[in-house]
Amino acid sequence: MKSLLLLLIPLYVLPLVVHSDVVLTILIFTFLLGILAVGFNIVFGGAGQLTMFHAAAFGIGSYVTFLSMLRFGIPFWLGYCVAVVIVVLVSIVIGWICFKFRLKEFYFAVVTLAFAELCRLVALNWTSVTNGTLGMLVLEKPTIWLPGSGIVRIEQTTSWYFLSLVALSAILVFSVLLMRSWIGRNFSAIRLNEDLAQTLGIDTFRYKLLAFTISNVIASFAGALYGFYTGYIEPAYLAVTQSLDAIAMVLLGGVSTIMGPVVGALVLTSLPHLIELPAEMRVAVYGMILILVILLMPRGVVGLFRRPRHAA
Amino acid sequence: MTQVVVGQILNGIILGSLYGIIALGVTMTFGITGIVNFALGQFMMIGAYATWYFTDLVMLPFPVSVVFAVAIAAVAGLVADQALFRFTRNNLVNGLLVSIGLISVMESAALLLFTTTPKNMDVVIAGSWSLGAITLPRMKVVAFLLLVAVIGLTWLGLSRAWLGRATRAYAQNPEAAMLMGVPTKALQTGVVVYSCALAGFGGALYASLFSLEPSLGALFILKGVEGAILAGVGNLLGALAGGAILGVTESVGSLYLPTSFRDAYGLVFLVAILLFRPAGLFGGRK
Repeated sequence: MKSLLLLLIPLYVLPLVVHSDVVLTILIFTFLLGILAVGFNIVFGGAGQLTMFHAAAFGIGSYVTFLSMLRFGIPFWLGYCVAVVIVVLVSIVIGWICFKFRLKEFYFAVVTLAFAELCRLVALNWTSVTNGTLGMLVLEKPTIWLPGSGIVRIEQTTSWYFLSLVALSAILVFSVLLMRSWIGRNFSAIRLNEDLAQTLGIDTFRYKLLAFTISNVIASFAGALYGFYTGYIEPAYLAVTQSLDAIAMVLLGGVSTIMGPVVGALVLTSLPHLIELPAEMRVAVYGMILILVILLMPRGVVGLFRRPRHAA
Repeated sequence: MTQVVVGQILNGIILGSLYGIIALGVTMTFGITGIVNFALGQFMMIGAYATWYFTDLVMLPFPVSVVFAVAIAAVAGLVADQALFRFTRNNLVNGLLVSIGLISVMESAALLLFTTTPKNMDVVIAGSWSLGAITLPRMKVVAFLLLVAVIGLTWLGLSRAWLGRATRAYAQNPEAAMLMGVPTKALQTGVVVYSCALAGFGGALYASLFSLEPSLGALFILKGVEGAILAGVGNLLGALAGGAILGVTESVGSLYLPTSFRDAYGLVFLVAILLFRPAGLFGGRK
């Protein structure tokens, strides 16, 4: 926890030193995608379940938050509460199906991927509500209450920077506390040896379902913020590539580590932008970074600096 | 109405045989190397563009260009295996990520070389056969027969020849196979290369039927994985059947239900099968 705070504090003072909008924007994307990656790390790095549903949760988060704001005229945070309710219900249904039928590894990945694709197809084809492929422009912004200045709309880059950083910090602290609690230890037991965990009296079904749901709620939080930051929501948020990006971030940074997902998010968001290139080449560079990192650092960037600890 | 349904079923089977050849590649690589090469769809894309290039620009006869296309896909597969997949054997997640990186690289290369403008190859075999009120383009039938022949030959080869027995022995027990003198490293490389060549062959036939875009591979790898799982991973002939079932589900499904959800029907079917027969439709008990 101390090392986590030591790493986060410099980020809070960074905007006082760096005024470049480009740097701050890249960091905002890093933080928002970092939240998604931290969420994935709970279910994969924690409970060892390779889900492919987090992009769908991410997309549902942004769609439902915005649509409920639009339809019911409620503020951002209430709209997000609606999204949480829906994501929890969806996760429980899908998780129940997958875990009740004891789907594992590759099969679990494929079935969750199938459900994610179904969600994407709904977003794509329910044109009257979601505006189909064209997506939706989001002109509203989240508002927060600050002591001294009352209710503030989050609009400028700096305010988005702090909002996303606070959100990321909160999620990181939550994930550290979760993984150190008895719930987190049960997750680790399931990851390391599911049969043994069951023999020891851990209700593996319930804990896998819990990990899956928590990670999807976190992903939906990332999605809600992401959609309002970019001001644009489209079906591609729910695409397979979005899920894979988050997986890549976690693997690249280091599975089952606290800061790994954030480091991975930073590398994969910043590197393609640091090198001046046309758009097509940027995708290629992204691919090459991914390949090189996986082949050269199988335990991730954070893994380079740490000895493997059991049940981290 | 019956004729429309029968027509759709035939169309579905033909499209499904294209899914099937990718599913075959997925099944074989997963059994032997423990990874799924998600870039197989992009090897199909290579095969498709190579065929288009040799037939329409170099003016070679179609069969010759198909041979070239398969060779190019195989060489690309060999390079990818030696440079990348060699290091991710039996590590599903790392293999997945490496193949995603490979997808990004290959797709952007195709975008740079061929742009997003769809390419349409000149008709190879014109005309169509009609059965009553159902008309089937000849090229589609020929492509289907070729795909079935290749899948059938692969199955025959794997069940009869020494190499095939070695492959299956390895899939069952790697250590024992190694002790019996099976060259395991060469076998793993061979399987990856062969699956890429199969994908290239599928791509070559795809080029003769549909128009080409750099992103064409993405759809097929998903269908290939679905088909392989549907049939039961490790089942070679099942891969063809799995692909065909997917194709038919989609074509017939979109006849009665909204077409825009076409990709969903196969998925729903897949989930249902996995829940009630976890080892796949044709998989034995595990």
